[in-house]
Amino acid sequence: MATAVTLPVPISQVAGRYFLYNADVVTFIRREHHITGVLIGNLPQAPQQNIFSGIPSELMPEEVRLLVEKKVAYVIEDAARHRNAFRNMSGSERMAVLAAFDKQGREAARKAQNKASKRQEEALKRKGMTAAPKVRNDSRASASSEAGVDEDEILFASPANSFPTPTLASTASQASVSVNESKPFGITPAMSYPALSPPTPPSESWPTSIPEAPPSYPLFKYLHDKGYFLSPGLRFGAQYMAYPGDPLRFHSHFLAVGKEWEEEWELGELVGGGRLGTGVKKGFLVGGTATDSVSKDSNTNEGLGDQGVRAFCVEWSGM
Amino acid sequence: MALSRASGPAARLSPPPSALSETMKTAEDNCHEPYLHHLAQRVAHNLQYQHQWTAISIHTNSPLADSHLLPRPIISGLPPQRIYVHPDEQIELLKDESKRKAESTASKPEGPVPEREWVLPAHLKEKWSLKSFAAIFDEIGTVPRDPDDQKQDRDDISQSVGTSTINKWRTIKRVMLATVDDDGTIVYYIVHDGIVKPRQN
Repeated sequence: MATAVTLPVPISQVAGRYFLYNADVVTFIRREHHITGVLIGNLPQAPQQNIFSGIPSELMPEEVRLLVEKKVAYVIEDAARHRNAFRNMSGSERMAVLAAFDKQGREAARKAQNKASKRQEEALKRKGMTAAPKVRNDSRASASSEAGVDEDEILFASPANSFPTPTLASTASQASVSVNESKPFGITPAMSYPALSPPTPPSESWPTSIPEAPPSYPLFKYLHDKGYFLSPGLRFGAQYMAYPGDPLRFHSHFLAVGKEWEEEWELGELVGGGRLGTGVKKGFLVGGTATDSVSKDSNTNEGLGDQGVRAFCVEWSGM
Repeated sequence: MALSRASGPAARLSPPPSALSETMKTAEDNCHEPYLHHLAQRVAHNLQYQHQWTAISIHTNSPLADSHLLPRPIISGLPPQRIYVHPDEQIELLKDESKRKAESTASKPEGPVPEREWVLPAHLKEKWSLKSFAAIFDEIGTVPRDPDDQKQDRDDISQSVGTSTINKWRTIKRVMLATVDDDGTIVYYIVHDGIVKPRQN
């Protein structure tokens, strides 16, 4: 199904945030390592889009740290790498890359053109007409209908090449159409290699730098090791939401909050979390690393994990 | 009437203590701070008269073998109906019920048997930490023992826990956290000692 992923995978660090740009890597990490990240990519033409976002996938620092500790991934400083790599690029290499983009753009433009003309033919056939050789120039109706049904094309093509709106089409149709046939689409690649050579993982001294993660990392790792999928918990005012399987298939079980072992918090927090959790058929889970770990029945204790993490679940009692 | 009361001795001016204050005054345990003891008394009172719990007892020492002094008094009691049904047990119960319906026997469906519960009294303004919850859980057993059973031989106790039969789903310790506020409100939340999947009410 997906193409093979070479391990370890690079995680791009941009302005202190972590991203995955490769769709194969995103699916691989999700399938094999139960890490979903959050897809945040939008189309420039639809800046208000807030569902069905695409790549890149943004990872929490906890997720990055877990992957690096498992030696599945490593972090690269994206800005520095690009600056260096493009500065050291020779002129001929640059030309080759631009030519490749141009070729890709031409290919895309040709495919879009073919699709459009096929659609036009079908529309004419439905109306009982035959496609005249110069139908593009005289059939204004078909041109406007084409632009009307072709919203996908408008959405995904670059603005310079997309079909103008019907009103524009009626005024300046021939000119824009003829330009359209020759001009290649602008290509915005999701990844910067093949333009650059693929990043190479740091070899022997790796992993030297484990990325920083919040103090709740032990709880994150503990729940992750138990097979839970974790996502940011802002939606329910918690730190994480714990899903018993892939979030696409399951509702979450817990609203999780990490605490220090001796950190003191008001009971109101626990009551509020417990009540909210019960209201949405979830448990409120609070946990952290037991720093003293002197509990005498630690062997039999279900709540005590390998890293000495202890967690408590809160539910409303119903009375 | 009013006149005669007003003309009485000065000591009579303060109203007689309420039944609750009388309860609070009785039996301070001398091993915990009085406010902790009063808190436990108050929760016990609420359980008995508002929620119809029975066989309530206040524990000052750990029920485990070494009988440590508990961090604070803890209550155990028997609710009128089951407080917590594990989701897997719920599934089992539903299966049984549909089976009974299929066999069309007119027998009344019996709910789950009530079980003794631990109740941990606390005040809303208190600060708690993971450590303090762990300290409580480390000192209690999974199921509180019935005080009537304690009078029997020790051997019997090890075989049957309380009056109810052993519940195979009750494997993780739990307490009911009774949070008291100044206005007299007491809310009860179940706290599990570990990860327990939520109920699907």
